[in-house]
Amino acid sequence: MVEIDPTEHEIADLGPKIKDIEDADELREMLALEEDGEDRVPVKTLIEDRIEKLEADDEEVDPDEIELAELTVADLANLVRDIEDVDVLEDLLDREKAGKDRKTAKDRIESQIEAITGGDDEGGEELEYVPPEEKHPDLDHPTADKQWVEGLDGGEYRDMWVYCETQHGELIDVSREMLGKARELMDEYNEEYDESEKVVAVLIGDDVADLTDEVAAYGADQILYHEDPRLERFTHKAYTEAFVDMARAGGQLAAEGMEDVDWKEYDEPRYTVFPATNNGRDLSALVQGELDSGLASDCSGLYIENAMISNPAKTGVPGDSKEFERILHMKRPDFSGFEYSTILCIDKPFRDFHPQGASVIPGSFEIPEADEEREAEVIEHEMDLPEEWLAVEVTDYDALDSGVDLTGHDVVVAMGRGIGTSPTEGIELGLDLVEAFDDAAFGLSRGVITSSYSFEGHVEQYIGEDRQIGESGQVVEPDVYIAAGISGAIQHKVGMDEADTIIAINTDPDADIRGFSDYYIQGDLFEVLPRLIRAVEDGDLATAVAEASDD
Amino acid sequence: MRSVVLTKGVPDFREGQVSFDEDGHLERGKTPTVMNPNDKYALRAALQTKVRNEGQVSLMSMGPPGYMEVLQEGMADVYADDLYLLSDREMGAADTWATAMTAATGIHNLEESPDLVFAGFKTADGETGHTGPQTDWCLDMPLITHVISLDVDEDEETVRAKRLVEGDVEEIETVEAPMPAFIVTDAEFEPTYHRAEHRLKHKDLRDATEDRADEFGEYLDDDTDKDPMDWDRFTMWNHEDLNLDPDYIGLDGSPTIVAGVDPIPKAPSEREATDIDPDDDSDMEQVVEELTPYAAGD
Repeated sequence: MVEIDPTEHEIADLGPKIKDIEDADELREMLALEEDGEDRVPVKTLIEDRIEKLEADDEEVDPDEIELAELTVADLANLVRDIEDVDVLEDLLDREKAGKDRKTAKDRIESQIEAITGGDDEGGEELEYVPPEEKHPDLDHPTADKQWVEGLDGGEYRDMWVYCETQHGELIDVSREMLGKARELMDEYNEEYDESEKVVAVLIGDDVADLTDEVAAYGADQILYHEDPRLERFTHKAYTEAFVDMARAGGQLAAEGMEDVDWKEYDEPRYTVFPATNNGRDLSALVQGELDSGLASDCSGLYIENAMISNPAKTGVPGDSKEFERILHMKRPDFSGFEYSTILCIDKPFRDFHPQGASVIPGSFEIPEADEEREAEVIEHEMDLPEEWLAVEVTDYDALDSGVDLTGHDVVVAMGRGIGTSPTEGIELGLDLVEAFDDAAFGLSRGVITSSYSFEGHVEQYIGEDRQIGESGQVVEPDVYIAAGISGAIQHKVGMDEADTIIAINTDPDADIRGFSDYYIQGDLFEVLPRLIRAVEDGDLATAVAEASDD
Repeated sequence: MRSVVLTKGVPDFREGQVSFDEDGHLERGKTPTVMNPNDKYALRAALQTKVRNEGQVSLMSMGPPGYMEVLQEGMADVYADDLYLLSDREMGAADTWATAMTAATGIHNLEESPDLVFAGFKTADGETGHTGPQTDWCLDMPLITHVISLDVDEDEETVRAKRLVEGDVEEIETVEAPMPAFIVTDAEFEPTYHRAEHRLKHKDLRDATEDRADEFGEYLDDDTDKDPMDWDRFTMWNHEDLNLDPDYIGLDGSPTIVAGVDPIPKAPSEREATDIDPDDDSDMEQVVEELTPYAAGD
């Protein structure tokens, strides 16, 4: 017999109850009861997820059995994170030392040992605040007094704020995408932490009040908007001041001269999310700076979970690990696309780093389905914006139609870092091949754009982000895609994988792009491209070869 | 006119220069340092101002002493008059906000405050695009970002710039701001030298600064007994010189930390590639057959 008959409970009560059940068989019985009774889909999902989790735990590898040398450091780190037994960890450490002796692997194991043993001394020492004047008597103007540090210590933070960027009175797509993602994150958050925190949308501009219904439909619970005809175009100072004023309204700051409001009781937002557009990214940096906090830019993944941190700058005590709760994990492609980094924004002793901020690459998340029935609390924010905040004046603007559209062509020729030995010549060859086709476009991998190649003047105009193919560039679906000297990072694949035929040219026999090409020409693009150009120009290879040998 | 250009050294990401460890992580120590490619546009904007409006350009960076070579490279590029390096163990591992505070303090510490500060958009390693705007926020100057062209009117004490705006529609904006101002250049920045006298001046300046950069090179050369600190155009400041509280700079002052770095997962293969030997005509013929239907007509 089961302890809890799900059909007798509301969904909201069931979440926490189910989480405490450790017996998969009992859960199966509950699932059967629900199927026979109310048969509610979310309840069944809840129970099934729990079963899956329990069984996944059982499948875990036994640390004594595993062959360390076969694990990458990343896999090892995942394994180690779940081990609580110091003896097992020490055994692993000894085996790693005897085996491959990788420094990064040893670090991971050692820090887990430290995390467990360090935890025993907890409560032994309380950190004590030492004012900078005492701590650094040799400095006569401590930085804390500088005008740009206006942080909080021990503040109260709630909600996820989403800056909804607009253009000509309309939401841009990334604003809708962020609202959908924020809704999803906060629904999970509220369940996980048993909270009822909101998605708060922020609209700033001229005529933005008209957008509140749409913003509600995409998932906002509360909408703050600031309207001013002078804000028709984005301007850094005024937009930042308006956003920050909203963020600081109410809460303990009300006592320090900030406006007291009835729509917000906490001090500052817990999380802020901005679009990674030219203006959105700037705003994110300025708002987070003014609030004395941090952020990750150009994220393509976000999730919230607790984080075990041993960095002494954050814990205050070297050697200790501390669990920080409700941390926004911000994943972003880094180092010119070579790696993914996960960035965390974490308080330090006596100085809060909240809100935790992120900007999001447009197109990273789906636009959610609009729910026209959804309602949100709408608040107009009022504030006088002094003229000096509008010192940068937009005198003119134009839609940029010279943007390069790589989509809709029969053929796309794209060049990558394989041009490195002679960048200008490489680009020339690519352009010549484009010319040989009736309808072709010329694209680049991100690597060429972020590199420090020096190009000669006549090809320089072809080097720019407007020709980038991939995750943060354009997505093309031509009949034929020719990738010359492109190694094929996953972000590039996203931009071209729908092409009918993919032809790759690369000197490396094992470049990643081989795995998603139809033809793999293993050779030097500086030799292969001239032959292809002639062959396409002349209609067949034989003449091309003959002519080439005539030269 | 007095300008300051901010620059940074980054790993050289060109093919063949980047080194990875066995887990696929970038090995910074083994990858050579070069000037951040995007900073070249900030240098060009500052140079254009110097050629067209006269004045002095200082180049400033924050980083380890090895960045002196990056400054030397920049000196020749921007025809800089003097170089500043903010360098200190305490400043290490800073994120954008801690860097911005340090850079802003460095600028405050200059004898003469600048009319224009220039920065590039983002660095090739951190790629945040935050440091320029956040440094500006500390300095509280009018900010113009994503600048693709620039005109300075010294009499009116204003700058006029064109900048790029992204969104569902890409736009180009013309903005005007009073000086002093903070300019963040876009990678599309184009300097313009319409007048012959500017082009001549450009050349004179280039010759003069090449000599100057060479001179600094002698100080950087380990084989000479010259100490870079003795060169009158180079200044290095540590946190004490700048009165910076170590808790607000470097790793300790950084709100963010990098919790993990994963190699980008390899794209799963979904196509079966036919291997083509470029020296085999029948192999190549297969490729050409795919292409000829799309060849340009006569």
